[in-house]
Amino acid sequence: MKIKLLATVAAVVMSGTAFAADPIKLGLTGPFTGGSSSMGVSMRDGVKLAVEEINKAGGVLGRKIVLVERDDEAKNELGVQIAQELVNKENVVASLGFINTGVALASQRFFQEAEIPVMNNVATGSVISKQFSPPDHKANYIFRTSANDIIQSGMIAEEAIKRQGFKKPAILADSTNYGQLGRTDLTAALAKFNVTPVVAEKFNIGDTDMTAQLLRAKEAGADVILTYAIGPELAQIANGMAKLGWKVPMIGSWTLSMASFIDTAGPNGDGAMMPQTFIQVPSTAKRKAFIEAYQKAYNVDRIPSPVSAAQGYDSVYLLAAAIKQAGGTDGRKIREALENLNEKVEGVVTVYDKPFSATDHEAITDNIPVFGLVKGGRVVPAHPEDLEGDKVVRVKKKS
Amino acid sequence: MSIFMQLIVSGISVGMIYGVIAFGYQLTFATSKTLNFGQGEALMIGALVGLTTINVLIGQSLGTFTAYCLMLPVVLAFGALQGTVVEWLGVRQAIKTKSEAGWIMATIALGIIFKNVAENVWGRDALKFPSPLAEASLSFWGIRIQPMEIAIVIGALGMMLAVEFFNRRTIQGKAVVATASDRDAAGLMGINTSRVITFSYALSSMTAAFAGVLVAPVTLTGATMGAVLGLKAFAVAIIGGLSSGLGVVVGGLILGITETMTGFYVSTGYKDVPGLVLLLLVLSLRPSGLFGKTTIKKV
Repeated sequence: MKIKLLATVAAVVMSGTAFAADPIKLGLTGPFTGGSSSMGVSMRDGVKLAVEEINKAGGVLGRKIVLVERDDEAKNELGVQIAQELVNKENVVASLGFINTGVALASQRFFQEAEIPVMNNVATGSVISKQFSPPDHKANYIFRTSANDIIQSGMIAEEAIKRQGFKKPAILADSTNYGQLGRTDLTAALAKFNVTPVVAEKFNIGDTDMTAQLLRAKEAGADVILTYAIGPELAQIANGMAKLGWKVPMIGSWTLSMASFIDTAGPNGDGAMMPQTFIQVPSTAKRKAFIEAYQKAYNVDRIPSPVSAAQGYDSVYLLAAAIKQAGGTDGRKIREALENLNEKVEGVVTVYDKPFSATDHEAITDNIPVFGLVKGGRVVPAHPEDLEGDKVVRVKKKS
Repeated sequence: MSIFMQLIVSGISVGMIYGVIAFGYQLTFATSKTLNFGQGEALMIGALVGLTTINVLIGQSLGTFTAYCLMLPVVLAFGALQGTVVEWLGVRQAIKTKSEAGWIMATIALGIIFKNVAENVWGRDALKFPSPLAEASLSFWGIRIQPMEIAIVIGALGMMLAVEFFNRRTIQGKAVVATASDRDAAGLMGINTSRVITFSYALSSMTAAFAGVLVAPVTLTGATMGAVLGLKAFAVAIIGGLSSGLGVVVGGLILGITETMTGFYVSTGYKDVPGLVLLLLVLSLRPSGLFGKTTIKKV
C-alpha cells in the first residue's frame, strides 16, 4: 500500500516536472580520446559552455537543454552505432559535433533519414554538407559551421603564392582520406594561380622519418612546404627540416594549430601558418567574454583547440535560435528555421546573419577565416592588420 | 653524393631500430622456437614506463640527461618482469603441451591487453619524450645527424654486444646457448631449460623496452607506437634469419636503407614496397633468412 502510494506520488511529481519544462535533448559526438581528442574535447567544452549560458538564462522556449555526450573515438563504425543510438533510443532533437570527415560521412545519414538536423562544427571534408543536397534528396539536414577544405586550400594557395610570392611549393600530405583529398584540393587551388607543385609527397600515420620526403622537396628547389596532415606527423616534418638544416616556411591546413604539433615541434614549429576561424585573442567583447569564460570553466590558459571550441560554441547558439524560431522541436521545422534564420546571432567566430539557405548549408565563407601563426607555443594572428577596424568581425558574403 | 650519404645515414638509424627489436624476436626463438608477437607492445609499454619515470625524476629537479640514465635501470627491470609474465601466461603452457599455435594466439592476446592497459593508463595521445641529448643536429661533411640518432646506433650495438658477450663468456649464457642448440640434450645435461626459456623471454622484453626508450626521444611515445615497429621488425627477423643475431642487424639495415632510398629515388608513396618484396624473395629463395642456418625439422 505504502509502496503504491509512493509510486503514485513519484509519478505525479515526474509528470509534473515534465509538464513544466520537458528538456530539449541534443546529441554531442566527437573523439574525446585518441589522436584528434584535442579538437573533440575543445569542441565539447565550447558546446557545454554555450548550453550552460543558455540554461542559466532560462533555456529555449522555457525548456532546458540537456546534452547526450558520446565518444566516437574517431572511428567510423563507432560513429554509426552512436548515430543510431541517438536517433532511436535517445530521440535527440538535433545533434552537434563530428571532428573527423570519415565519421561524419558514415554517420550522418541516420540523422538525415530521421529528419534530425546535424550541426557539423569541426569536420572540414568538402563533401560533408553536400552529401544529401537537393534535388537528389528532398531536403538536406546537414549544416556546417567550420571552414571546409576547398576554402582552406584556396586560402593556403593564395597566401603562399599571391601574398608571399612563393613560386615553387612542395605538398606534403599524409596517406589518409583527409591528407589525400586535401592534396587534390590544394593542387586544384594552386592551378588557379598557374602554379604546379614541384613535388607532392606522401607519408603514413606513425611515420617518424621524413628524410626522403624532405630531401625530395629540397632537391626540387621548393621554397615553401604546404601541408595536409595531422599534428604528430606535421611535427616530424618540422623537426626533420631542422635536422637537415633546411628551413622553408610551412603553410598548411588548420591542423597546424593542433596542440600536438605545437608541443612536439617546439621551436622548430615557429612560423607555421594555417587558416583559422578563431584565434585566442580578445579582439571583440564577445570573444573576450568567451575566452575568459572558457578559461574559468576549464581552468586552462591556452585553449587546446580554439577553433573547435569557438565553432562548437557558436553552433549551439545557432541551433537554439532556430529552435526558438521553429517554436518547437520538430526536426523539419528546425531545418526550415535554420535555412531562414530571422535572428542575427552574434557568435565568437562571426555575426551570423542568415547563415544558411535551402541550397547553402555552409556558415563560413572564404572571407571569414584569417591566417594564424605559431609563435612561442601559441597561435597568434599572422597578419594583425587582418583583424583591425571593421575587419575584426568578418561576415559571410551575400550570394 | 651528400644526399646519397644522408639517405644512408637516415636509413641506418631507422634500420638499427628495426634491428634491435628483431633481435628480441631472435632471442626467444633461439631457445624455445617461439616468438613474442607482442614485441612491439613490449617496446611501447617500456617506453611509456620510461616516460613516467623520467618525468618523475625531472620533477625532482634532476637534469634530463641524469634523469635519463637513472631511468634506464627501472625500464630494464620492468622489461624483464614484463617478459617473464608473457612467458608464464602465454608460452609455458604451449611449450609443455607441444602446442603448435597456442603461443601465437597467447602472445598476440597479451600484446592487445598491454596496449589496452597503456591506453587506459597513459591515454591515447602521442606524448613527447624528453631528449637526453641536444636536439640540434650535427653536421659532418654536409651530412646532418641528430645526436640521439648516434645514440640509437651506439646503444643498439652496445646492447647486442652485451648479450653476445653474456652468452659466450658466462656460465648462465652457456646454458642459453646449449638450450638453443639442442633443448633436449641440454635438459639431459642438467640444465633447467624451462628456466632458460623464461630468462630468454625476460631478456627479449628487456631489449624491447630498452629499444623503446632509445627511439622515444626521436619519435613520439604512445599506445600505438609499437604496432608498426613490431611488424617491420618481424619482417627484418625473417629477412635476416631468426637464428642469427648478426642476421637481424644486417636485415634491419637493409630494410632501413631500402626504405629511405626508395622514398627518395622512386616515390615516397612506394616506400614500404621494396622491403616487402625483399621479404617475399627471401621467403621463396632462402626461407631460413639471409644469415639463417637451414634447419631440418624431423617429424
